[in-house]
Amino acid sequence: MNMDKDNDRQIRDALKRSFSPVNTELRRDLWPDVLRKLDASSVRVPWYDWALGGLSAVAFLVFPQLVLVFAYHL
Amino acid sequence: MDLLQRFALGEIDAFETLARQFQGEIYAWTVRIVRDPGTAEDLTVETLWRIYRARQQFRPDSNFGAWARRIATNLALDHLRHTRPEQVLEVEPAGAPQPDRLVAREMREKIQQAFHRLPPKLQVAATLALVEELPYEQIAEALGISVGAVKVRVFRAVRILRSRLSQLGIKPE
Repeated sequence: MNMDKDNDRQIRDALKRSFSPVNTELRRDLWPDVLRKLDASSVRVPWYDWALGGLSAVAFLVFPQLVLVFAYHL
Repeated sequence: MDLLQRFALGEIDAFETLARQFQGEIYAWTVRIVRDPGTAEDLTVETLWRIYRARQQFRPDSNFGAWARRIATNLALDHLRHTRPEQVLEVEPAGAPQPDRLVAREMREKIQQAFHRLPPKLQVAATLALVEELPYEQIAEALGISVGAVKVRVFRAVRILRSRLSQLGIKPE
């Protein structure tokens, strides 16, 4: 039991020695990147909108009379 | 109306203030997990973007920093899940290697390789607890689990490492 504990402590120490410390200071302002990402995502059309548009187009091609029903409800 | 309430309502100016205020903290947390500055920067941008998208789920009376750390941790975990262990080896500083340093470097690399082959959940808990020596309470909050569960993950990580290193014939001193 004690040997297990000693081995575990050795592993913990070795692990700590194996990784050099990382610099946690941020090197630059990331806000411009965040803003760019927000702008890009706001103009992106979600996949279900494309799917809905595609289905509607197919429906209008197969059943052209649907256009009249659709126009009536607008 | 205070900053957090304005952010929750979607005011971009309030979000900008918060993002500038917390970006350093989010980066510092992320880089401790992924251990690569470029990746940590990308993940920090992604974290801030997700924070803005999830703003309606944020309760203005709760801790923004802790919420941000949780989102950052989940993203870092996803990153580790999709990164091959060979890609995350740390690079030794340049210099003329001496024989004993070569042995030490070889052992270091083997320990790192064994460590990066751990399941990402164990890897994150062990990195934050053993390498970074952060408080268990903070790790538990970021992972969304109890302190006891963090201790279990760290214990399992150490045991798996011990077994893998002994298979490789390595006995840490």
